[in-house]
Formats: sequence, C-alpha cells, structure tokens
Amino acid sequence: MNLYLFIDLIVAGLVTGGIYAVVALGLNLQYGLMRIMNIAHGEFLMLGAYLTYTLVRYTGASPLWFILPMMVALFLLGLLLHRLIFRRLAATSPNAEVMEARSLIVGFGLMFIAQNAAQLTWGGGMSGQPYLDEAVKFGEVTVAANRLLVLGVAAAASLALVLLLKRTLLGKAVRGMLQAPLGAMLVGIDTRRLHPACFGLGLALAGLAGGLLSMVYELTPSMGEPYTISALIVITLGGLGNIPGAIAGAVLLGLVETFGTYYTSPSLKILISYSVLVLVLLLRPKGLFAK
Amino acid sequence: MKQGTLFLIAAVVVATALAALPAVASPFVQSMALTCLMFAGLAVSWSMFSGPTGYLSLASSAFFGLGAYCTAWGLAYLPWPVVVMAGGLAATLFAFLIGLVVLRLRGAYFAVITYGLGELVKHTITHVEKTYAGTVGRVMTDTPSSNVVYWTVLIIALLAVFTYVRFGRSRYGHALRGIGMDEERAATLGVNPMRVKLLGFCLSAWFAGALGAAIAVRWTYIDPNTVFNPFIVFQTVLISMVGGPLTIGGPLVGALVFSLLSEFLRLSLPYLYMILLGVLLIVSVLYLPNGLAGHDWRGTWQKFFKRKKADVQVTEQRHE
Amino acid sequence: MYPISRRMTLQAALAVAGVLALPGYAVAQEPTVKVAYTQSRSGPFAPGAQTTQEPNYLLWADQVNAAGGLNVQGKKRKIELIGVDDRSDMETIVRSYEKFMTTDKVDIVLPPWGTGANFAVAPVANKHGYPMVAPTALSQKLVDMKLPYYFVTLQQPKPMMNALVDMLAANGVKTVTVAYMDDLFGLENIGALEPALQAKGIKILDKKSYPLGVKDLSTMLKGMKTANPDAFVGITYPPDNFLITGQSKEIGFAPKIFYTAVGTAFPIYRERMGKASEGTMGMGSWNPKMSKAAKTYFDAHVALNKREPDRWASAHAWAALEIIQQTVEKVGLDRKAMRDHIAKTEFDTVLGKMKFNGTEEVGVPGMVGQWQNGEFEIVWPPARATAKAVVPKTWN
Repeated sequence: MNLYLFIDLIVAGLVTGGIYAVVALGLNLQYGLMRIMNIAHGEFLMLGAYLTYTLVRYTGASPLWFILPMMVALFLLGLLLHRLIFRRLAATSPNAEVMEARSLIVGFGLMFIAQNAAQLTWGGGMSGQPYLDEAVKFGEVTVAANRLLVLGVAAAASLALVLLLKRTLLGKAVRGMLQAPLGAMLVGIDTRRLHPACFGLGLALAGLAGGLLSMVYELTPSMGEPYTISALIVITLGGLGNIPGAIAGAVLLGLVETFGTYYTSPSLKILISYSVLVLVLLLRPKGLFAK
Repeated sequence: MKQGTLFLIAAVVVATALAALPAVASPFVQSMALTCLMFAGLAVSWSMFSGPTGYLSLASSAFFGLGAYCTAWGLAYLPWPVVVMAGGLAATLFAFLIGLVVLRLRGAYFAVITYGLGELVKHTITHVEKTYAGTVGRVMTDTPSSNVVYWTVLIIALLAVFTYVRFGRSRYGHALRGIGMDEERAATLGVNPMRVKLLGFCLSAWFAGALGAAIAVRWTYIDPNTVFNPFIVFQTVLISMVGGPLTIGGPLVGALVFSLLSEFLRLSLPYLYMILLGVLLIVSVLYLPNGLAGHDWRGTWQKFFKRKKADVQVTEQRHE
Repeated sequence: MYPISRRMTLQAALAVAGVLALPGYAVAQEPTVKVAYTQSRSGPFAPGAQTTQEPNYLLWADQVNAAGGLNVQGKKRKIELIGVDDRSDMETIVRSYEKFMTTDKVDIVLPPWGTGANFAVAPVANKHGYPMVAPTALSQKLVDMKLPYYFVTLQQPKPMMNALVDMLAANGVKTVTVAYMDDLFGLENIGALEPALQAKGIKILDKKSYPLGVKDLSTMLKGMKTANPDAFVGITYPPDNFLITGQSKEIGFAPKIFYTAVGTAFPIYRERMGKASEGTMGMGSWNPKMSKAAKTYFDAHVALNKREPDRWASAHAWAALEIIQQTVEKVGLDRKAMRDHIAKTEFDTVLGKMKFNGTEEVGVPGMVGQWQNGEFEIVWPPARATAKAVVPKTWN
C-alpha cells in the first residue's frame, strides 16, 4: 500500500474516532459516576447541532463563536434536568442496577421530548450549514478543512478532560467517585455538587460534538440516535467509567471502521465494527483496558 | 390453589373474549388489539428472563426480525403454523448460540452486546440476501387473513403468559430469581447458573421470534431495517419496566396502557404527542418506581382522596 | 428570510385547526369531504416525507378550501384533512389506514411516504376498495403486484435509468464508476442500469455499495478517482448524495458527468453544496420554467410552506392530488367509479399528460436534471429539456 493512502486512511479514522471520543466521554462520565444510562445522549448532540446551526443562520458568523456559549447552555440544561429528575431518581433507587434500568426509561422520555421539540421548531426535514468545506492538501493527502477542525477540537477537548481529571483536585474527586463511589462519599467528597456538574458536563460535551458535526453533516431531529449507539460501543470497548479507555476505544473503532471498509466495502462497516465489539467483549469481558 | 383456580378462570374468560373479538369489533379495534397483544407477548417474554435475573437484554429485535425473515423465506412453501413455529425456533437457536457466550457478561455490558448482536444479524442478513438472492427486501403475497394473524398472535401471547406463570413457579424460575439476587451464592447452592440462564433466554426468545413471524405478513414487504428495528425492543423494555416486570400483571398492564395511550395521543394531538408521552414516561418512573402493576394504588388513592376532600372544604369556605 | 418561526406558527396553527376548528365545518351546508393520510413526522422517513409529500397535501387542502371546496360532481364541499404521524413505523401505518378505511370510513385516502410504507398499505387499500395514487413509491415489484386500486405517478427504475444511459451515450461517455445504496431502491436501479450500460457499450470500472446512514465515503471515492472514469453514477438517497458530492470535491474526484439519484433535486442540495452543486445531475422531472402550471404550483408552494418544492417527487405528489381532484369532479366519491376513471383516463397535470398502464404511470418519460445557475434544468430527453446539458461539470 502506498504511504499517502495509508496516511489518508489514518486521518479519516482519527476524525471518526475523535467524534466518537467526545460523544462517548460525556456518556461515560454520566454512567461511570451516576449509573445513568442516558439513552438520550445523542439527542443533546442533536440539540447542540441545531442551536449552532440556528445561531449561524441568524448571524452569519462562524460557528466556532457559538460553540462555547452553546456548551454553557447545555451545561445549564444538564443542571436543570439533574435537579428535576435524576436527583430524585438516585435517591429512590435501592441499587445501581435499578438506577440503570430506571434511567433508561427516563432517557427514552427525554429522547421523545427532544426529538419532538426539535421537529416542531426546525421541521422534520433536513437542514444544514456547511463551514470550511474546502480541501486541505498535504502533498498527496487531502482532507476537508472542517473534518480536520473537528479532529483538532475533539482531540483538544478529550485531552483537556483527561488533564482536568488527572491534575486538579476536582478531577481527583471525580476519579475517586468513579473508582469507589461509597469510599468517595466517606472521605468527604460532596457528591451533591459534583453529580449535577458532571451530568451537565456530559451534556456540554454532547453539545460540543453536535456543534462540530453541524459544520460537516446535514441535521435531522433523529440524527443523534446512531451516536448514542456508537458511544455505548466505545465505552464498552474501553471499559465503563474508564475515561482514557473510552478515548482509546473511540480511536480504535474509528480506525477499524476506516481500514475495514477500505479493504472490503462500505456496506460492511457495521458488520465490522460490531464484530470488533463482540470479539473484544468475549475476550476481555470488562473492556479492553480492564485491570 | 384457590388463587390458582381463580387465575385460571379469569384467564379463560379473557382469552375467550379476546378470541371472539374479530366477530364483534371493527377492524380498527381489532388491529389495536393486535398491537396490544403483540407488545404484551413481547413484554411478557422479555420479563420471563430479564425480570427475575435483572439481565437487561436488548436482543428482542433480533429474535423478532429472525422470525419475520423465516416467514418471508418460508411462507410460499410451508403451511402457516409451521412457518410461525419455525420463526420461533430460529430465534431460540440463535439465542442458544449467542447465549453460550454472552450470558457470561453482566449489566450494561450484557445490554450493549445483545444490542450489538442484533445489529450484526441485521447486517449479515442484508449482506447474504444481497449477495446470494440479489435483493434486500422481500415481498410476501398470498398472506393469511387478518383474522388468522390475530388469532395466531393471541395464541402466542396466551402461551407466553401461561409459560411465564408456570416457569416462574418451577424449580428453574426459583433458580433464575436466585441468580438475579446473587449469582455466586446461587451457584454455591447447587444451581448451574449457565444452564438455567440459557434455558430462560432460549425460552423467552421463542415467543419473540414467533411473534415476528406472525406479524410480518401484515406489512406485505419487509426489509432488514423494518423488522430489526431497535424500537421494537426499546418499546418492549419500556412497557415491561413501566408495568413492572416482576409480576405477570406488569407487562400486560404496561402493554395495554402504553399502546392505548400512545395511540390516543397520536391521533388526538398529532403534533405534540411525543412530548406528552415523554413527560408521562418520566413522571411514571419517578412516581411509580415499582411499575404500574407493582404500585400501591390504594395508598395513592387514599392520599389523593383526602387531599381532594380538603380542597372541597377550602372551596366551600370560599363560597361562604 | 428565516422559515423557522413562521413554520412553527404554521404547524401550531394546523395542529389547533386539526383538533378544534374542524367540527366547525360541519355547520356548513354541504358535508365535508374527509381526506385522511399518515405521514412520517418523526423517525427515519421524516426528512423525505416532510420535503416531498406532506407540504403538498397541506397546500392542496388549503388551496381547494380557499376556492370554496372540492368540486364533487358540481357541488363544492370543504376538505377535512386528517393527517397523523406514523412514526416511520409499518405497524402504525397499516393500523392507521385500516382505521381510516373501516372505522372512520373517510371519503379519500392519500398514500404515506416511501416504497416500504406503500408496499404495506397498497394491499389494504386494494382490499377495502380505496383508490390510491402514490407519488413516492419506486419498485418494479410493487408494480408487478398488479393491484387494481393502486397507482404510482413516479417514474420507475427502468425509464429513469434508460434516460440516464441515453444521456451518457449522447455525451460520449465510455466508462463509469457506480456507487449504490444497500436497499431495494439501490438494487432495482442497479438491475436496470447495468444492462442499459452494456447495451450502449459503456464499461463499469468500479462498483461499490454502501449502507444507510453512512458518514464517510472518502476512501471509496479515492479508489474511484484512481479508476478515472468519464462519469460517476450514484444511486443515492439524501443525505448520502451530499456526502458523496462534498467528499468528491474535497479529494478532487472530478469526472465529466456527476450523477446522484434522489435528493439532488432538493433545493437544500443547492443551498448545502453551493458552487459544487453546479452541473450535478440527478433524478428530476420538472422545474418552474417548464410550464405556466408548474410556475403557478411552485409559487403557491413557496407562499404557503415558505420553501421551494423539490424538482422531482413534489410535482408527482401534486399531480397525484390533481388526478384525485379531477376524478372526483367527474365521477364523485364512489370509489369503484373513481378507480375506473383513474385507470382509463388521460389527465392534465402539472407534469403534462398522465396516463396509467396498470399501476404504472406511462405519460411522463424518464428524465435527467442538472443544476445550472441555481435552477434544476431538465437536460434529457431532448423533447422535455429546458436547457442543454453542461458537460463537463464545474466544481468551483
């Protein structure tokens, strides 16, 4: 295989993996910390995409300006939802399994609401507003500028989150809760503040992914569903609650999909990615990076 | 024993009434009943395994779709009852093969892998059909009448209810609940968890497969995206959980309430019904943690009634 | 101009009208004509249904009622439009139509969106004797079922692909690469395309399929770029036609002729692709320049729905409604009489003369359209062309 094609495929795989990573990180925080199986995660991605799109349509400015405010908005929405729903849910669930199952239904409820609301506001058809869709050339390697931008922002966000968890006191608290929820409470970590914040952060990350995707793809009210599924696969690959594992899982999935479909056919993409998932789970039932 | 007889009598009365429905009801009521029965059957079969064990299975769509494809392949050559049985058996066989490996996983891992296997089957069928049959969807002509489909679904649903009750009371049912409470402990008490789980999983798969086989003929044309639709399993899980999967009443009440409510909302508020449905779901999870069937309705009623009385007094005072 | 808030107001108003205002019509002297349908407002069919079909139903009811009502053999009766969401779910679609036909006993049913949904309701309509004229169903298998009450106004794979290949041959194309979607639509069109190409001696250098919901086809397109064909043929749906066009431009895959099937005629394709849309060919059959009727329809659609209709199936949806309207005016609401009238009459529609041979419409030929300066010009066949094909396609 020639070198350029190889680099091409690597870049394409990383772009896909980068988006998976950002979507999966938010979900992994919510699941790892609070056992919230948020099946509506992709819907917040969709809201982020539509919000960005709408702001761009009204102002004509670059979508990059709106990513941060939109993330803040989704963060606040996350706090609100946590206050209204998940706090009570956690308080009334006797154990983690019940919490998982009940949050799943809440997730469906949120999904119905978000999709219906989006459809009433923006219509059921497709919308879209491409940004930076010209090609960037590095010798023989060509990539669309917006995909490169997506990769850059996704990598930066993932890195920032990892650093936040590794280096700050807040991060230590979160990691403590990820590893031993009860122990964390015993050593005085305030879960009542951290849980809403982490839930909100999960939504903000989903929104970030949505904002980025709005520069590349068309938007529909149901655009989020496949991303929820991809995120679930990614966090299962990397190990539930394992943040670096999710990033590695996302990159792995992105690369496998790209190389796999190149050597076979795009039709087999899903066959390939699910085979990888099934294989990994059979060989390493707690994810690739289980200790 | 007395309770058992009562249950039996009630079951016979309800079954007879349902079987006679096509003679008296309009086709719409009948097709509404069909939808209720389909989801009741799916939810009961799901609860059969996932209720006692707490294993959140998302494989129902795969079972359903396999059954549907059996009909699409076999309807032209085999008699109707054989086709439906075969649909169920195909799902059971599939459940057995994957069960051997996936039943070693727990919690969210189990949920994700059962979902993944469903997608895997869907895309394998797409690929095989495209490569070897040169088609993706299949058209079914010469389908049985809607009454036959209705009675078939009714029989499968009744069988599911019967199996749920009998299985739950059997040695295996107790063993499954033991596994749900503490798998290691159950194993030390002499239960072979793998064997029991496999049995429950395969049993529950048959009903989902048979329902897929029976319903598929209503759509004339099926393709992998319609019959392996993940919303089939999502709705099944939703119904079971909202109803409460631990008693037979749960999935049945859940199916009835959910189907009727969503249909009523869809037809009366065509632009807003999904939002309302979503809100109702969230509220029901928050305030009915044990499901519709498991909830202490009497307590709620008393509380509500008392408050209402108080309200009445307040308004009366205002009038004065 | 931002259609967002106005669209919402419109939908909210319709919702209210649907729930509250309709009983008011009953006070009018003539009883209303009940017209029922399901459309996908949610789920995977929604983007297609909300672009090509439901806006036309709304426009039609609005227009007819504004003119005093539907002419039923000389008597004007208001249309009572009953439209519900089918969630893109087959069982819901079948159940809803059974309700319309048996419990509600509505006067007219309009078809749902998409080939799969039409497969499901066509036998139901046939069984209960409701004539159905469908704009968005595309399958030879459906035509071959020979259901007497079921009619399709859209061109089927064979005429569409033959027109494409004739156009390719006329422009001296010798080699093509082909990408197609993994579903009935993709396979049936490929089935019609391959023999047609062979008959004209055009070689297929590369043929690849891809699934619904694909997100990246750059590697496939890079392979095709290496093959260097005269033309690219994509049997696509939206949004993968956006993906293929965008990524072809990015990697510099620039064949002389670039054809993507469905969704190319959507106005959003032009908006989304900008300059890259110029010169792209696709399935289409009309534009507002074609005739006065087409222009009138176009303007009315823009006025009510605040956006342009697509240049293919929208007009077929409108033509289907015109056929129903003309039939009712002639023979009233007796469904058997309606069916017989539709089967044997030649209709004047926005797309010109239409006439059925069994299920299939045979008056409108297969066509190829091309975006030129912001309009989707018909470039083949010459008899219907509104402009000459621009070859090679420009990319920047």
